[in-house]
Amino acid sequence: MDGHINWHSFYFLLFGLTACVFSVAVVLTGSIVRMAFYLTLCLGATAGLFFLAGAGFVGAMQLLIYVGGTLVLLIFGVMLTAQGPFVNMKTRAGEWVIGGAAGLMLLGLLLQAAFRVEEWRGPPEGVATATAENAPPGEIGIRMLGKPGDNGKAVGKESGYLLPFEIVSVHLLVVLIGSAYLARTKRRRRASDPAEST
Amino acid sequence: MNLLTDPVGASHFMAVGAVMFVCGVVCMATKRNGLGILMGIELVINGANLNFVAFGSEFLRRNPDYALGVDGQLIALFVIVLAAAEAAVALAIALNYYNNRATIDVDRADELKG
Amino acid sequence: MGFHEQIDALIDDTQRSLALFGPELALCGTIILLLLCRLVIGDRLSSTLVAFAGTVVGLVAALFSWSQVAGTSQEAFTGMLVIDSFTIYFRIFLLAFAVLFVVFTWRSGIPDREDAADFYTLALGSLLGMCLMVAANHLLMVFMAFEMASVPSYVLAGILKGRRKSSEAALKFAVYGAGAAGIMLYGISLIAGVTGTVHLPSIGASLANTMAADPSSSVLWVLGLGGLMVMVGLAFKLSAVPFHFWAPDVFEGAAAEVGGFLSVASKAAAIALLVRVAIGFGFVQEASAWVDAEDQSVVQTTNGVDQTSIASASGETTSQIFIAARIQDGNSASGQNSQDVQTTGADHQQGTDQQDTDQQSGDQQGTDQQGADQQTELTQPDESQLSPEQQAAEAERLAEEARALGIAQRREAQEVANESLGPVRTYISYLVGFLAAITCTFGNMAAYGQSNIKRLLAYSTIAHAGYMMFAVAGAIPSIGTSTTLAQDHISALAVYVAVYLFMNFTAFAIIAFLRNQTGSEEISSYAGLIRTSPGLAVCFSLLLMSLIGLPPLAGFAAKLLVFSALADSGLWVLLIVGALNTVISLFYYLRVIKAMCLDVPEEGQQVAVFPIWKNIDGWFIFLLTLPVVVLGLFWGPLREWALAACSQLLS
Repeated sequence: MDGHINWHSFYFLLFGLTACVFSVAVVLTGSIVRMAFYLTLCLGATAGLFFLAGAGFVGAMQLLIYVGGTLVLLIFGVMLTAQGPFVNMKTRAGEWVIGGAAGLMLLGLLLQAAFRVEEWRGPPEGVATATAENAPPGEIGIRMLGKPGDNGKAVGKESGYLLPFEIVSVHLLVVLIGSAYLARTKRRRRASDPAEST
Repeated sequence: MNLLTDPVGASHFMAVGAVMFVCGVVCMATKRNGLGILMGIELVINGANLNFVAFGSEFLRRNPDYALGVDGQLIALFVIVLAAAEAAVALAIALNYYNNRATIDVDRADELKG
Repeated sequence: MGFHEQIDALIDDTQRSLALFGPELALCGTIILLLLCRLVIGDRLSSTLVAFAGTVVGLVAALFSWSQVAGTSQEAFTGMLVIDSFTIYFRIFLLAFAVLFVVFTWRSGIPDREDAADFYTLALGSLLGMCLMVAANHLLMVFMAFEMASVPSYVLAGILKGRRKSSEAALKFAVYGAGAAGIMLYGISLIAGVTGTVHLPSIGASLANTMAADPSSSVLWVLGLGGLMVMVGLAFKLSAVPFHFWAPDVFEGAAAEVGGFLSVASKAAAIALLVRVAIGFGFVQEASAWVDAEDQSVVQTTNGVDQTSIASASGETTSQIFIAARIQDGNSASGQNSQDVQTTGADHQQGTDQQDTDQQSGDQQGTDQQGADQQTELTQPDESQLSPEQQAAEAERLAEEARALGIAQRREAQEVANESLGPVRTYISYLVGFLAAITCTFGNMAAYGQSNIKRLLAYSTIAHAGYMMFAVAGAIPSIGTSTTLAQDHISALAVYVAVYLFMNFTAFAIIAFLRNQTGSEEISSYAGLIRTSPGLAVCFSLLLMSLIGLPPLAGFAAKLLVFSALADSGLWVLLIVGALNTVISLFYYLRVIKAMCLDVPEEGQQVAVFPIWKNIDGWFIFLLTLPVVVLGLFWGPLREWALAACSQLLS
C-alpha cells in the first residue's frame, strides 16, 4: 500500500481494541460494579464496530436497547443485591488457571477459524477499502414487514421477517408476565398449600 | 499486514467477536456471582452479534455474493431483543433467589445435591 | 414486480401461511385471553377453563391441519417455517400434551388461585416456542424458538417462588440455559457466515457446493466448529451429557408438574429440531413450495405465456449454483431438445436458450424476466407470422417440456449434490451417536444411587434422550442410500416420542398426586402402596416397566423400532450400547416397583390411599396408562401414522 492511513481500519482498530481490552477487564476485575462499568464500555465499542461494518441501525439499537436498557437493568440488579459481604467475587487460583487455560485454547481455536478462511480476510477485489456505507434502515423495516429479499445472493433465499417480528411480541408479553410474577410480593404460605411438601 | 493501511475484512471483526466470546465463557465459568455470570452471557451474545453484522457486510469479504446482507443485520436486531428478554427473566430469578437466600453466590446453591 | 404486486403477493403469502398457523394462533390468543380474564374475572377456575379451551382449540386446529397439508410440504411466512406432516405430527402431540397438562395441573392444584393465570401463560408461551422449534426453517427461527421455549420455562422451574429449592433450581436452569443459548448463537453465526445463507434447507445446497469444489476446504473446518456449538445448545435442551447438569437439580427443585412438562414437551421439541437441523445440513432439498407459489403470482402479473414458463422452469433457488456447475451435459441435451421443436418460431428457440443461459449463469429470477421481456420485444415480428392460438398452444407445449426437463435435471443434480454430502452426514451421525452413547450410559448409571423419585426420573429422562438420539444417528447416514429408508428410521423416533409422552408424563402425574397426599417424593415413602391403593401401584409398575422397555408394553415397541433402525444402518456399536443400557436400567426401575409392592412401611409412616376408580384423578391416571398397554400390543396404526408423518421430510 502507499502508506496512507486507511481511516476505516484505524477506527476499526480503535473500537476493536477498546472492545477487547474492556471485555478482558470484565473477566479480570473482582468488583461487580466495575464489571458492569467495563461491560458498558465494551458494548459501546461494539456499537461502534457495528457502524463500521455498515450496520448503522443495528449500532443505534445496540446503544439504545443494550447499553441503555439491558445494562441499566443489570446495574439495578447489582444495586439491589450489592450488600457488602454477600458479593463475594474472589475466584480461586485454581479456577483461574483452569479457566484461563481453557479460555486461551478456545480463543486459539476461534482465531484460527477467523483467519483460516482466505475469503474473509479483506474486501472484494477492486474495493480499496471497506466502505462504511450504511444500509438504509428502510430496507430493514420493509423486510420486517415481511417482504422477502430480492434474491441477489448466490445461494438460498431471503425470507421476510414478518413472523419473528410479530411472534417476538408474544414472547415479550410472556416474559414480562413471568418476571412480574417472580417479582411480586411473596404471598403468605398456607398450611393447605400442596406445594409445601418438604 | 499493516493494520493501519490495509483494509480490514470479516476475519478481523470475527477476531474481536472471538475475544468477546471467550471472555464471556471464562466469565461464566469463573465468576461465582449470579449477576457476573449474566454479564458473561451478554458478552457471548455480543460476540455472536458482531459476527452476524460482519458477515452481513458486502465490503468485508472477497466474494460479496456470499454476504448475508440485510439478513445479518436483522438477525442481530432480533438477538438484541431476545437477549433483553432473557436478561429480564434471569434478573428476576436472581432477585427471587436473593430474597430467599440473602446471597447470589452460586457456590452456596448447594441444597440440590448435584 | 411493481410495488403493488409485491404487496399483493405478500398478503397472499401471509394469508396462506396464517391458515397453516392455526394451533400457534390459538396459543397466542389463549395467552392474551388469560391476561384479560384475570383483569376482568380473576379466579383460578376461569384461568384453567380458558387455558383448557384454548389448548383444545389448538389441538383441533392441529388435527385439522393434518388433512390440509396432505401430500406437500409447504413453507410458511416466506420461508421462515416449514409446515409438513412431520411438523403437524409433533404439533398434535405437543398440543395433546398441553390439554393433558392443563387437566393434570387443575387436578393436582399446583398453580393456586393467585398464580393460575401466570402459570398457564408461561406454560403456553413455552409451548408456542416448542411448536415453532418443530417447524423452524430459518436459522433465526431456530434460535428464537429455542429462546421462546426456554425462557418461560426458567420461570416455570421457579414457580414455587417461596421455596429455596425451587428458586435455586430456577437460577441454575436460567444460568445454564442462557449460557447454552449464547454458545449456540455463536455457532449459528459461524454457520451463516460460512454458507452465506440463513435458510435452513439452502445450507445443504451451499455445503454441497463447497464440498464438490474442494472436499478439504478450510471452510469446512469452521463449519464443523459451528455445528459443534449448535450441538451444545441442542444437547442442553435434550439434557444430553455433558450438558445435563441442570436436569437432576431442576427436576428435584421444581414442582413435579413442571418436571413432567420439561421432560416430555421440551424434549420432544428439541429432538424434532435436531432432526430438522441435521437434515438441513445433510440433505439438499428441491426447490421449495414457496418459490412455486411465487411463480404462480408471476403468472398472473405478466402477460406473455412463454415468459412465465421460463420463469417457473428456472425460478428455483435452492441449489442453483450447484446445479449450474453440475449439469453442463444436461444443458447440451436440452439444447438439442429445443432444436427439435425449432419449427415453432425463432422466439421460442430463443426462449429456451434464454433458459439455458439462465441455468448456466445461475442468475436469479428477477433478471430472468427482464431478459425474457427484452427477448419478446426483439422477436415481435417473428411472432406475427403465426396465428395467436397456434402460438399459444406451442408455447404451452414447449413450456411443459422445458418444465419436465428442468425437473429431471433438478432431480439429477439433487442426487449428485446429496452424494457429495456423505462426509457431512457421517460427521453428524458420529457426533450425535457418540453423544447418545455417553448420554444413555451416564443417565442409567447415575440413576442408581437416587433416593428421590424425581431425581431418579430426571436421570431416566437423560437416558431416554440418549435412546432418541440413537434414532437420529441411525437415520442420518441412511439418507445417502435411500431417502425412504431414512424416513423409515426417523419414523421410529416419531413413535418413540409419542410413546414417551404417555409413559413419562403419567409417571410424573402419579408422583404429583402421591406428593399431594403424603408430602414426600422419596422412593421409600411408596412402601406398601400395593396394599392401600393397588390400582395405582399396578399402573405405576406398568409405566416403569414400559420405561425399561419390557414386552408387551409400548416402551418395548418403541425401543424395538429404534434398535432395528440402528441395525439397519449398520451401527452395531450403538446397538450394543443401547441393549446393554436397557439391561442396566432394569435394576433401578425395578427398585421402585419393589418398594411399592414388597417393602413394608415403617412405623408411623403415612401411606397414600389413592383409589383408582373413585375419583377423577384415578380415572386420569388409568386413561393415560391405557395407551401404554394398548400401543404395546397394537402399535401398527401408530407406526403407520409416524411413517406418513415422516414421508415429506426428505423430498
